[in-house]
Amino acid sequence: MSTRTITVIGFVAVIAALVTLEILGRRKIGRIPTLSEWLGYVMRARTGRALILAGWLWLGWHYFAR
Amino acid sequence: MTAGNTGADGAAAERSSRPPEQPPTRRPPDGPLPLGARPARNAIVGAGVIGYAWLLGGAAPFSTRALLYVLLPGAVLGVVAFARPPERIPPPESVDVAGFSYWMICIALLFEWEASAVRQDTPAHPSLTDLINPLIAPHPIKAAAIVVWLLAGWALVKR
Repeated sequence: MSTRTITVIGFVAVIAALVTLEILGRRKIGRIPTLSEWLGYVMRARTGRALILAGWLWLGWHYFAR
Repeated sequence: MTAGNTGADGAAAERSSRPPEQPPTRRPPDGPLPLGARPARNAIVGAGVIGYAWLLGGAAPFSTRALLYVLLPGAVLGVVAFARPPERIPPPESVDVAGFSYWMICIALLFEWEASAVRQDTPAHPSLTDLINPLIAPHPIKAAAIVVWLLAGWALVKR
């Protein structure tokens, strides 16, 4: 198994973990919040709101302007 | 004879002279209309978003045009979020700390894995960007990804 394959598996594993958390959150298993819930909680404050929107903008710049 | 004593025939005549009863109109409650209530406006906005995504998708990487096309919706959403926020979805009063920490651990792992790939900068250890860029290289797919990004931004503004 090459290093590249291991790297790809690592990314897939982390993304799969995120998807699993979202599914568990939607099914109300283990008191895990959904992405929408914790984003909403973080964005209650203006600072959190600014940070999350800045993160969204950065993602756009990173994938679409570069 | 008292006023208003029209009798049975008079009541029927009175009913027939009145316009047919209109069904009670349902006034929308105060607040925004449902999503499908303004199809024309939604279609125009949707076409604008798709058109903008198509333009941004065609911009050359690392160009000033691409940068401005990304910054413009960011500026618009920033103004909307802080100056004229739409009706926001009520946030939860609290979130479970343990559950929230699981999210943060996974996101930190993702960023660390990405950062290590960027630091090494070898084909043997590609970054997430290196993996995703070939997938979104075709113009239509890139435009679709930009539409998703723009919709995600709007969803964040509504939170």
